[in-house]
Amino acid sequence: MIKSDLIRGHLETVILKLIIEQDRYGYEISNTIKERTENQFIIKEATLYSVVKRLEERGLIESYIGTLTHGKKRRYYRITTFGKTYYKEKISEWKEFKLIIESLLEA
Amino acid sequence: MKRIRNFVKNTFKNYPKEEREKLIKSVTEMLTEKVEDLVENGYLLEDAINKTVTEFGSIEDFEDIKIHKKRFRIKNLSHYKNDILFSIVSVIIIIGILAYVNLYFKQVIWFVIPSLALLFWPLSMIYKYLNRKGSEKENRDD
Repeated sequence: MIKSDLIRGHLETVILKLIIEQDRYGYEISNTIKERTENQFIIKEATLYSVVKRLEERGLIESYIGTLTHGKKRRYYRITTFGKTYYKEKISEWKEFKLIIESLLEA
Repeated sequence: MKRIRNFVKNTFKNYPKEEREKLIKSVTEMLTEKVEDLVENGYLLEDAINKTVTEFGSIEDFEDIKIHKKRFRIKNLSHYKNDILFSIVSVIIIIGILAYVNLYFKQVIWFVIPSLALLFWPLSMIYKYLNRKGSEKENRDD
């Protein structure tokens, strides 16, 4: 498993992206991360919760109670307009960062 | 589900009150959702709860939310000096009263005995002060 410290700084962006794709609830987010990385990265609920909480406090996402098809309740998160803008900014930052590291380490 | 709630409660027991209730509520909610999902995917309730609890991580994974550890007051040398001063003044007052009562009623000289015991208070304060002073000097020398 990859060192989680490296990912930590980008977790916000990752979670924002997942929520932009569609409204998701907590476990759905961690499950999707697990699936997409093919078990290479597993986010702990403790970490997930603190990131989500922070995003919500900053008004990047908001939560509402949704109902699954069989009637169980889930707290879903959806992106706000501010969140979208923030995400775009973060993505361009990431691209820039990637280029810099690439030019330095893979030269 | 009571186990989940207890687990969360226990995890955040050191958080300040104002934040704690809300925190426990929402984390419990999130973990309960997970347990429900796992059960739906074929886990036994017991196993689902175990899995959720072990995968939660520790309080250290709870990054960036300020962990409000109780800040202990760090005593420095002047605090210890104040302790000594306080104990000395108190002891003088108490011994004074005892002596006054003793002599006023012209009894046998008994006040010396409780006074002796009382003197151990400033004595221990001085001991602590010197101890602290010594260890600080040691730290400086390093």
